Amino acid sequence: MISELVLETTELQKHFGKIHAVDGVDLSIGSGEIYGLIGPNGSGKTTLIRLCLGLLHPTTGAIRLLGLNIPNKAILAKVGYMTQASALYEELTLRENVAFFAEMCGSHEPAWIDEAIALVDLQDRAHSFVRTLSGGMRQRTSLACALAHRPRLLLLDEPTVGVDPQLRATFWSYFRRLANSGVTLIVSSHVMDEAERCDRLGFMRQGRLLAEGSSAELRQRKGANTLEEAFLKFAEDGNEGGQR
Amino acid sequence: MNTRRILKLAVRVMQQVLRDRRTVALIVFAPLTVLSLGAVLFRSKPVVVSLGVVNEDLGISSPVAGSINLGGRIVDEIAAGDSFRLVPLNRSEVEARLRDGTVKAVLVFPEDFTASFLKNRQVALDLRLEGSEPTRSISITAYVTQAAMKTLAGLAGTGLGTLGSAPAAQGESVLPVSVQATYLYGGEQFDTMDYIAPVYIALLGVFFVFLLACIAFLRERSQGTMERLAATPASRFEIVLGYMLGLGLFGLIQVTLILFFTVWVIGIHYNGSLALILLIVAIMAVVGVNLGILASAFARTEFQVLQFIPLVLFPQVLLGGTFWPVADMPTYLQPFAYAMPIYYANVALRDVMLKGWGLAEIWPNLAILVGIGVVLVILSALMMRREVA
Repeated sequence: MISELVLETTELQKHFGKIHAVDGVDLSIGSGEIYGLIGPNGSGKTTLIRLCLGLLHPTTGAIRLLGLNIPNKAILAKVGYMTQASALYEELTLRENVAFFAEMCGSHEPAWIDEAIALVDLQDRAHSFVRTLSGGMRQRTSLACALAHRPRLLLLDEPTVGVDPQLRATFWSYFRRLANSGVTLIVSSHVMDEAERCDRLGFMRQGRLLAEGSSAELRQRKGANTLEEAFLKFAEDGNEGGQR
Repeated sequence: MNTRRILKLAVRVMQQVLRDRRTVALIVFAPLTVLSLGAVLFRSKPVVVSLGVVNEDLGISSPVAGSINLGGRIVDEIAAGDSFRLVPLNRSEVEARLRDGTVKAVLVFPEDFTASFLKNRQVALDLRLEGSEPTRSISITAYVTQAAMKTLAGLAGTGLGTLGSAPAAQGESVLPVSVQATYLYGGEQFDTMDYIAPVYIALLGVFFVFLLACIAFLRERSQGTMERLAATPASRFEIVLGYMLGLGLFGLIQVTLILFFTVWVIGIHYNGSLALILLIVAIMAVVGVNLGILASAFARTEFQVLQFIPLVLFPQVLLGGTFWPVADMPTYLQPFAYAMPIYYANVALRDVMLKGWGLAEIWPNLAILVGIGVVLVILSALMMRREVA
């Protein structure tokens, strides 16, 4: 059972003109869990994450984050966000980037900054300029930027896109470490083998939540051998529902 | 070499340009606008200048020519042309009218004007100039001198005329007209550079931070850091103010450098307080940063930022009273001048640097400039509503 609700959405909808990017999503995510938002490109994952941060205003519905109604600028000090593409200042060093975002979130602890950099194993590049870093290193720096203010909730939008398999495994070990220390993670992905590593999954398609549960539960419900198969079967149900 | 490939490339390049409608519009309209504006301004008829006249000349009654008032004749001669609007004044009003700018110069004829002409064979004109616009001072002096010469030529038929031309007949090549020019501000040593220098300072101050802010903000968007910033507790006012402070400081340093260079190396004259000049420039830097932030909303690439130079900055230069006094511009263009932030900086800087005015005199323009700054800060913050809640 969920001990404490970190994120809760009710009847959440976001329309862009005729497109219903998020079409009635109810989520409840508890602390210390890794929740995977799984769905193809354009299924509304990014929109959902941006709604939760208050970067977009919902058409209808409500969001509560750590017990407060969104939008709420102050609560963002307890939230970490990693965008799909690494968002860093090229002219600054790795550490300066991490320190900047930490300061913006009201954290002034140099130790936390070093800790975040250590978590992504980039201590030896801390003083390198971002423009000299490889793609993978930038991705890890982005993660450190989302961590250095010790958030209680991390929203990671496709954090492992374009990341090689070895680094992807490393990322997931970071995520598990964070979850063990009580941080809640919401990770969006369209890769099924990543979904296996989440505590709980939400299958998203066309702005709707098709099904929720652990990977084993979801496979079992559809009698599928793989998550991919399960997803496709849930998607078919969705289509029939739509045609009705 | 494959010509087909080259052609295909050329077509693609053209397609890219054509897809960008603003670039197309700029290619066509920007040069035409700038040119026609320049033409209008350069060719605009010189406006009618207000010239004060203090005529205390008592004239003389000559047995030969009857009663003659030379001062009055010169005034009539000037009035016959259409370059001046004459304003009769009392001696006591001269200084005040020059100060408030309702007249640009005052011609003073003392009581014994005609009498001393007869005695000295010389028309000594007493011309008081406002002096902050060197080119105008020169043209007024020249015109008034010419009018006096014509008047003398017109007297040739009278007894006075012969008297007037007497020295020349004796072989002395003394010009029968001399001008005693006095200046309220500046003086003959003021040249066009003195007039333009204050504006240089304002313009460069605003130009640099404008480009810097515009490109920095654009990058913030394109590299995704704006999205990240939006997901922190930082409000959009904080972001705008942070930019203003950071880039404004650069602008101030740069302008201080320009100021010292123009004053000590180029050697332009300045009368007012340095602190006040820096204050005006600091406000202008704030205006520049926020104009940049605003403009960045309408640009997607750094190339498009460059296009703002003709769009945002040229009109400021042409219409903001940089080279042409706004009063000399065609009336239909004048309202645009008052819409340019740089106009107020120009006026304030000239008042301080050329006229040596203090805060007490320049505050209205300064207040307008601050007002524009505040409005721009709010607009910049509002403009960011799309990305920062």
